[in-house]
Amino acid sequence: MLMDNPQDRLELDSQLAELSRVQPWIEAVANRHGVAEDIRFAMQLCMEEVLANVVLHGYRSEAGHPIVVKIFVSAGTLFFTIDDQAPPFSPIEHGSRDDGKKPASLASIQPGGNGLRLLRHFGGSLSYERLADGNRLTIGFAAPMKSASI
Amino acid sequence: MTISTESMDGGITRVLLDGRLDIQGAAAVDLRMNVLAGSSKFLLIDLSNVSFLGSMGLRSIVIPAQAVNRRGGKVALFNPAPMVEEVLKASNIDQIIPIFHDLGSAVAALC
Repeated sequence: MLMDNPQDRLELDSQLAELSRVQPWIEAVANRHGVAEDIRFAMQLCMEEVLANVVLHGYRSEAGHPIVVKIFVSAGTLFFTIDDQAPPFSPIEHGSRDDGKKPASLASIQPGGNGLRLLRHFGGSLSYERLADGNRLTIGFAAPMKSASI
Repeated sequence: MTISTESMDGGITRVLLDGRLDIQGAAAVDLRMNVLAGSSKFLLIDLSNVSFLGSMGLRSIVIPAQAVNRRGGKVALFNPAPMVEEVLKASNIDQIIPIFHDLGSAVAALC
């Protein structure tokens, strides 16, 4: 169930500078819910990777497009939904997967491209939904919380 | 995010990063990291005071490490916090840039 509390919603414009607003917002969310430090880290990491992906690839670094982040709690899990109006893209179906093989060498690896891998590793649950005018990614963190109430 | 350096025995440059190596943090240190990579043969990147590491921060480590490697040098990572180390391991970076929690072992691996 989506909550109506304004504190549970963050609206961003599609530019990387906007991401500086996300970290304090997540800290405030985590404080309200008593989220443990390692889960806070995972939340911060997943949100940075997803939002940077939306800005850089979804909107191709073009400012002026909306990104809306909301949270809700269900069955002891804290969920983040990220809605955008970029072309269809499911982070669940794309990107590099860990094949368990050791990289050949430092020289051979790509410096980037780890965002989706990290999202899959640190995001507790991931689901993607194609909306009429964009994309919705939902990330759940089954975190031991002091209180699940808002 | 701040960056400072120390010269150690054996021609090692110890790079001390302090803060969040997120998108903003990476942008703040990239230029200095690349300059250091161009002038140092042995680079010890001290992550003791890095509280966050994302994929853009990984680039700030990997690109200079590749530059040092191309010139025949070596790079090691020192003392990441547990969650920062998990990012390094989830990205397989630990398999190509060694991680040490003991300074003596890190120095020995570089020299």
